[in-house]
Amino acid sequence: MQFTLVNIVMMAEVGLLVFAVALFFVHGALLNFSNRRLARLSMAARESVAALINSGTVNLEELSALEEQPHDVQVVAFLEISRNVTGTGKERLRFIAEKIGVVDRAKKLCEHSRWTKRLRGTRILSRLDVPDPLVLKLLADPHPAVRAQAAEWAAVQPSPEVISAMLTLLADPATQARFAVQNALLRMGGTIAGPLTSFLETHTGRAAEAGLRVAESVAEPSFAPAAQRLSRDDDAGIRVAAAKLLGAIGDAPAAQRLIDMLRDGESRVRAAAANALGRMQYWAAGSLLSDCLRDPAWRVRKEAGLALRAIGAPGTLFLRRALKSDDRFAADMAQQVLDLPAAAAG
Amino acid sequence: MNETLHAIVNAVLFKAQGPVLAYFMAVNGWYLVLLVSSLLELRRHMLLITDESRHLLLSSTLSPTISILAPAFNEEATIETSLRALLALQYPNLEVIVISDGSKDRTVQVLIERFDLVPVKTIYEQRIKTKPVRTLYRSSTYPALAVVDKENGGKADALNVGLSFARGELVCAMDADTLIEGDGLQRMVRPFLYATDVVATGGTIRVVNGSEVKHGRVVRASVPTHLLAGIQVVEYLRAFLFGRLGWNRLGGNIIISGAFGLFQREAVVNSGGYLHDTVGEDMELVLRLKRLSYENGGPGKIAFVPDPVAWTEVPESAKVLGRQRDRWHRGLADVLWRHRGMMFNPRYGVTGLFVFPYYLFIELLAPVIEVIGLAVLILGLAFGMLDWKFAALFYLTAYGLGTALTAFTLLLENISFNRYETFRDRALLFWWALVENLGYRQLTVYWRLRGLWKFVRGRKDWGVMERKGFRPVTAT
Repeated sequence: MQFTLVNIVMMAEVGLLVFAVALFFVHGALLNFSNRRLARLSMAARESVAALINSGTVNLEELSALEEQPHDVQVVAFLEISRNVTGTGKERLRFIAEKIGVVDRAKKLCEHSRWTKRLRGTRILSRLDVPDPLVLKLLADPHPAVRAQAAEWAAVQPSPEVISAMLTLLADPATQARFAVQNALLRMGGTIAGPLTSFLETHTGRAAEAGLRVAESVAEPSFAPAAQRLSRDDDAGIRVAAAKLLGAIGDAPAAQRLIDMLRDGESRVRAAAANALGRMQYWAAGSLLSDCLRDPAWRVRKEAGLALRAIGAPGTLFLRRALKSDDRFAADMAQQVLDLPAAAAG
Repeated sequence: MNETLHAIVNAVLFKAQGPVLAYFMAVNGWYLVLLVSSLLELRRHMLLITDESRHLLLSSTLSPTISILAPAFNEEATIETSLRALLALQYPNLEVIVISDGSKDRTVQVLIERFDLVPVKTIYEQRIKTKPVRTLYRSSTYPALAVVDKENGGKADALNVGLSFARGELVCAMDADTLIEGDGLQRMVRPFLYATDVVATGGTIRVVNGSEVKHGRVVRASVPTHLLAGIQVVEYLRAFLFGRLGWNRLGGNIIISGAFGLFQREAVVNSGGYLHDTVGEDMELVLRLKRLSYENGGPGKIAFVPDPVAWTEVPESAKVLGRQRDRWHRGLADVLWRHRGMMFNPRYGVTGLFVFPYYLFIELLAPVIEVIGLAVLILGLAFGMLDWKFAALFYLTAYGLGTALTAFTLLLENISFNRYETFRDRALLFWWALVENLGYRQLTVYWRLRGLWKFVRGRKDWGVMERKGFRPVTAT
């Protein structure tokens, strides 16, 4: 009985082994064949696409040759070329893709019930920079990967509706989508200033923090009221982000608020405020920054020291005075900052 | 005497057959779970990364800054090539810190000459106690490069010094001779961008022996014809594509290779950094981070990135390989002993209830069980208490299952990254998968047992690693 059982196990195992080996080699052979075929066909397709882009006119013969290629080959060729063209070249690429149906097929994929297909469709449209209202629907997709890809696509079509939908996504629970949205908003540049100002004025929490990070890079003066409000938020992370934005805006009320923030209860907020004052080279804060050299938190002392150095001559004077401080931590930090080479301090 | 031995073997055989069969089934059953899990995980990963445009998303100013920590000890021959490859990595916010751990050769001199280093003073907070730093250098031609010359204290100490100087939100711990793929960091950073609870990520490490290397990059991957190196290619594929990927989906990853891993700097510094008094400092750190996240909250997810991201040279001599495996096993034993409180403890979730027992019973004690099994088998046959046909079938079953598992892992590689493209490479891979059970496996059992014995005796030495160097591109 036992021996029979072992025989059965043995046979099953031999079967499994043969199956695995056959699968390994057959799959390998098929893969090689398919890769070679794809390489050969896509080279021809790439040449056709490149010729059509370069000629600037529609060569029907080339177009029909491209149309006859399998769909996967067409997509490979378009995606590869899309990385290397911009401006008119991209417009022509888009035109050809529309002509031979690549765009329509990608749009259909975006409507598919499976998220993997929707992701694929969104990636194709995104790489071809095809403007389409479909992006709004995809920005609200249930899958975060699709939302993130849609955000990347949305960066090239900064309409008010799209920007509004993107800003809503700053509160997205999925980090992947939030990061993609922040990145896309940055790529949109100054056009987001107005909507982002309104957004920051009315939002708090995670969304506000993500918005502040974007705002810091754009650094429009219109963000100032929101930055002031959020610098008093209960969340220390938001106060840090607000301090950075205030430093980037760099006006007098911002400097005043940053000076107040040097007395914040959280060390990272004090450090961010000191850093921002240094970034602004706000020499009037020299005395207060000098006091921060006595801060119990190392990073506050460091940021205060670096800020004093960034201020220039008045700051250096404070640092030299601090060398004689009765607080040995302050004296030590001042010495370290003064010893820094110019590039490291900058 | 013979009768006594006969009685003992008889009793062991009689009493052990049930547990042995149960162990055999549990091990293989668990392997099957891992295989299915890795298949599902790989499928999901491939769907997510196909045609992704990392250059837009990850070359962003919002990407976290990464500080690469590259400890170097007597690396004057290879340090320039390795460092140039690191500086050429495609990542926007990058800082490279080379830590010369008291090198006795010209490592620091070579760096000074080739990278225009100048001594500088800097501000840093030493939150982890380390051996003294002699000089800090910065390059006048590569702003992202810093070199720390310190007194010798071992790899853990060098990494701890690097942690003090690093300014990045993330730190990448690596060996100085690891070859990272050009976009390796872009791939490795993904989990940090996609989730807030990730504390560390590890990537697939591949064997560089036999492959062609140019300017510190692998330009053509090939399976080596050398027996030991070839079998290790199969081992590495199995360990990463099947083991770690399988655990990834189950949330039970606790190993990040010391050759290449990415960590949240603040979490590592807060945990106390790398421990000096263990030879398994990589695993110990990861398990400590995981443990602390269970105890104190905070991020604790260890993510594995299956894309091939780094390449390492493996030993080709049995002596050196033996030392390495012995050290790995000692490290495993030490780490499991240090964190024994996690074992079967529901407070530590999947790690305590599944991962820890797996590493103890299946990874650590496997060589012991294998040797006992082999001894009893031989004695049983010698005393005529075992049917030799049954014994042969049992051995073949175990051998066949192992090989089938490896074949499926090779298939995973085919389906996903397919770096070994030629028929020759595939045939060689399969050949090494067949051969590894005929002698090599038994050797590793001996090395691991030796490691266990040394652990019991309290040995904590590393042994010397000898490297042959990379194979350059052949002229065509």
